[in-house]
Amino acid sequence: MKWVSQDIEMYLKSKEYVDTIVLPLLPVSLGNDVKQSVAMSEFISLLSIQLERQFRGRLIMLPGFSYLKGNSEDKLVSDLKEWEKELYAKDFTHVFYLTSDSFWKAVENKLDGGLIWLPSLPLEHMDENYRTSILEDQVKQLLSLFLQKWQSAE
Amino acid sequence: MSKNKVSRRQFLSYTLTGVGGFMAAGMLMPMVRFAVDPVLQPKASSDFIPTQQKVADITDVPTRVDFKFEQQDAWYTSEETGTAWVYKDDKGEIVALSPVCKHLGCVVDWNSDKANQNHFYCPCHGGLYTKDGTNVPGTPPFAPLDVYPYIEKDGYLHLGKAEPKKGA
Ligand code: FES
Repeated sequence: MKWVSQDIEMYLKSKEYVDTIVLPLLPVSLGNDVKQSVAMSEFISLLSIQLERQFRGRLIMLPGFSYLKGNSEDKLVSDLKEWEKELYAKDFTHVFYLTSDSFWKAVENKLDGGLIWLPSLPLEHMDENYRTSILEDQVKQLLSLFLQKWQSAE
Repeated sequence: MSKNKVSRRQFLSYTLTGVGGFMAAGMLMPMVRFAVDPVLQPKASSDFIPTQQKVADITDVPTRVDFKFEQQDAWYTSEETGTAWVYKDDKGEIVALSPVCKHLGCVVDWNSDKANQNHFYCPCHGGLYTKDGTNVPGTPPFAPLDVYPYIEKDGYLHLGKAEPKKGA
C-alpha cells in the first residue's frame, strides 16, 4: 500500500494482514556528490514502486526518509532510531529500510529493522530496454529477499 | 388591461435576463468543462492493447505476458506495464487472467508454491487459485481472478481491460 488516502483506507480495514512497513532511505546532497546522491535516490524510488506493486497487500511503503548527506553519523543513526521506535510501537512485525547509501551498511548493527542495501546502477546511461530488464532483475532479487525474511519469521 | 400583456419594462428585463444568462452560460460552461473534463474522459476501455505474444505459441501452461499501455491519471499520462497469465484451456480456448490477487492486491505467481502445484499462489497471505482462476476456499481471496477479454490480430494477442470473471 502506498502512502495515499485510498490505500491507507484499505490498510485501516485490513490491519491484521499488514505486518510489514518499508522506509526508503534517500540521501540528499548538493555538494560534489550531488549526482551520486540523486542516482541513489532515483534508483531506490524506482525499486520501491515495483516492490509496492508486487506486495501491496502485505506492506506499507512509506514516503522516503530523506536526510542530508553531510550530517554526522550519530545524528543520522539517532534520527532513524526514532522512526524505528515509532514503527515497532505501531505493531509492525517487519520493518525494512531500502537504500543504496553504503553509509547505512556500516551502521547496520545499530538498527533493529532489516537493512536492504542495493548498489545503485548507472541507469541514466542505459537504453530503455536494457534498463527495464536490469531493473526487473533487481526487483526479482528484492522480492525473493522479502519472501525469505517472511518465511524465516513464520 | 389584460393580464398577459407584457409591458415594455417587462419585455426588456426578460430579454436582458435571457441574453445575460446565455452569455453567462457561454462563459461558465468551458470553465466547468476544463475543471471536470480530465476526470470524465472515458479511459478508452474498449481498446485492445497489443502484446508480443503470438497466439500460435500459447500452450496449456500459464505463461506471463507483459504489455505496455498508457494510463490516464486525471492530469497526466504515464506508461504502465501490465501483466497477464495466458494459456489455452482443455477446449483450446485462450484464457488470460489478471495477476492481481482479489484479497488485497498482491501479484500472484503460477506454480510458485511447492505445496500447491498447478495453482496460482499469492505470497502475501497464501491465497490460492486453481488454473482457471477460481479462488480456493479457506484461503483469504473471496473472488476469482479477473479475466482479460482478448482478440487476435495479425497472429498476436491483444488484451482488453480485465473484468471480474463472469458467473462469479
Ligand atoms: S493479498 Fe493475496 S492473499 Fe492476501
